[in-house]
Amino acid sequence: MTSIVTLKASDGSQIRFVDERKASGGLKDVFFSPDRDYVVAFYRDKMDVVGRERLALITGTYRERIFNQEGGDYLKKLFVWPTATVEYDNRTGVVVPFFDKDFFFRYGSRDDDRLLGIRNREKEGKWFASAKNRAKFLDPRELGDGMTQLKTCLMIARAVRRLHTAGLAHSDLSYKNVLLDPSSGRACLIDLDGLVVPGKFPPDVAGTPDFFAPEVVATAKLDRHDPQRFLPSRLTDQHALAVLIYMNLLFRHPLKGDKVHDMNDTQRDEDLAMGERALFIEHPADPSNRVRLAGVSPAELPWKDTAKLPYTITGPYLSSLIQDAFIDGLHRPDSRPTADQWESALVKTMDLLQPCQNPNCLQKWFVFDNSTKPRCPHCGTPFRGKLPILNLYSSYREGNFRPDNHRLMVYSGQSVFSWHANRLVFPNERLSSAQAKRVGYFVQHGGEWYFVNETLPGLRDVRNNLAVPPGGKVKLEDGAQLLFSEENGGRLCAVQMAGQ
Amino acid sequence: MRRLPVYLLIDTSGSMSGEPIEAVKAGLQAMVSALRSDPYALETAFLSIITFSDKATQTVPLTELVQFQIPDLRASGMTALGGALSVLADCVERDVRKTTAETKGDWKPVCFLLTDGQATDDLNRGIEALRRVKVGTLVACAAGPAAKPDELRKITEAVVSLDTADSNTLKAFFQWVSASVSVSSQKLDLTKKEVGGLSELPPPPPEINVAL
Repeated sequence: MTSIVTLKASDGSQIRFVDERKASGGLKDVFFSPDRDYVVAFYRDKMDVVGRERLALITGTYRERIFNQEGGDYLKKLFVWPTATVEYDNRTGVVVPFFDKDFFFRYGSRDDDRLLGIRNREKEGKWFASAKNRAKFLDPRELGDGMTQLKTCLMIARAVRRLHTAGLAHSDLSYKNVLLDPSSGRACLIDLDGLVVPGKFPPDVAGTPDFFAPEVVATAKLDRHDPQRFLPSRLTDQHALAVLIYMNLLFRHPLKGDKVHDMNDTQRDEDLAMGERALFIEHPADPSNRVRLAGVSPAELPWKDTAKLPYTITGPYLSSLIQDAFIDGLHRPDSRPTADQWESALVKTMDLLQPCQNPNCLQKWFVFDNSTKPRCPHCGTPFRGKLPILNLYSSYREGNFRPDNHRLMVYSGQSVFSWHANRLVFPNERLSSAQAKRVGYFVQHGGEWYFVNETLPGLRDVRNNLAVPPGGKVKLEDGAQLLFSEENGGRLCAVQMAGQ
Repeated sequence: MRRLPVYLLIDTSGSMSGEPIEAVKAGLQAMVSALRSDPYALETAFLSIITFSDKATQTVPLTELVQFQIPDLRASGMTALGGALSVLADCVERDVRKTTAETKGDWKPVCFLLTDGQATDDLNRGIEALRRVKVGTLVACAAGPAAKPDELRKITEAVVSLDTADSNTLKAFFQWVSASVSVSSQKLDLTKKEVGGLSELPPPPPEINVAL
């Protein structure tokens, strides 16, 4: 018979847990509360004064700073943040909310989960980032589609950006510490009790293979106090974030190609390939680390075929950051894109998505490739029909509008939001509920596309010099210009036509 | 992709009959099911079983986890531990892909040896054979009072002892094996084709002026 232990936590609350170990991680043993609304994770090793101080700050000041501000409720969905510490039996523990049900497999593996028996288990990120696991094992309903996968990456980038703007570094971003739900487009960072505060609390883990920054691998054998040694930091988080995003959009590792560095020692070969000689598998000038298709199993295709699905299918904004992360910044940490840049690029890429017209396409969505005859890179189906594209412009001087390098694709059900209509609004956790409502939508009628204005008071069809009041609609033709708002930051869009 | 070969060397001599061999089967079953729910192991681990009694044989060839079937193990006869090491050496030599200048080979194999007795054949010959091949971790487990940890230390430095060879301790052993396999498998073209001129959308106008 297992007993229930009752404790008083650091924040004064009463904590209860069932005295039966439910899981073990690298550093901690995990126990569940009787109602399974939180867990208590005890450190196996005795915690020193500095460690306790860090936990006190993470469960106290840092937590309040993030969640007690504007957008705090939204952020609760992106983090499983420890709420308090407890002491029991000479061990220190942290109280952590239970993971949301979205992060446990609902369907699990194929064949009604008879294949693996993983239903109700945690959705560790590794399941989804591996082409083989996706193609052979997981129930297709767990995989999401091109849109939810992009959204999942946006949630990861947003969470990391919030940590970094608070001056914190996660230090161990990896499959295990980032729960994903690609079926709904959610992601959530866990294991936040090891946060690194530069200059105050050093990291206590080196990271996880696959996510180590090259300079961390290359200097891993040095003493941790050696000034040449690279330890986890915001900059190594930025590498890990780039790997997470690349892997969850393209389902292959950006550095794991077929270049052999040491024929006699596999571990040394791996250390060189991930460390000092790390080389992007899609490097434009150096093809020596390409994935050789001869050695790839059918289950890993087409994702491992970098010629068929190059990183450029992620569109211009993400491609540019992928270049920065794995070509220019791979060995130059300062050149790595920030989480903020990833977040912006992911938001803009959402607007470039186009639904594939093949109802059986597995990805369902693709990023517009700027061609007049777009086709889905996944199933090869060409787009048929008229395809209006809205190019967004902003004004910095009265009457003069300059391009924002931001486009919005048009399809049935696509909406225009306040962050499209005004450049001063950005869709993130600080968005008010009023700003989160759509301001208009697109509809196809008699072979023509129209923008239907719902709530924009100042919408104008510029070329025809007509006001389009709420409830009105305006036809989208090549060269049409719509002014969304005359307010400060109000945007104008110029329509281009592709397809036919 | 690099595979992680995992070899399990299991004693099926007469002394293992009854509870121990049943416990081994149950332990294997639990281990395989634990590994199947581990996305790292599923991607990389391949399992093989070598059994040894009067002589040693590779009972299950190196098999992808998801296709692995638990063999029907029966216990009788002597303890050809030396023979088991020779068979392991042959299997590693034959099955584990070597790195060449063009292709990455497999990870070094991880091997687990479980015995409840001592060798009744020429152990040194087996040890000699094993020296000639590359093996990563080799953990030997002496299960029960009749096993000889000292003898196993001649094979590998990593020797664990289980006081008994009953179902609970063997279950714990296989749990530990699956945990180590899981960790082991963790250890571990801007050539954007230029879209031809006409098929690409022209750039949108560089700026737009509106009389407001």
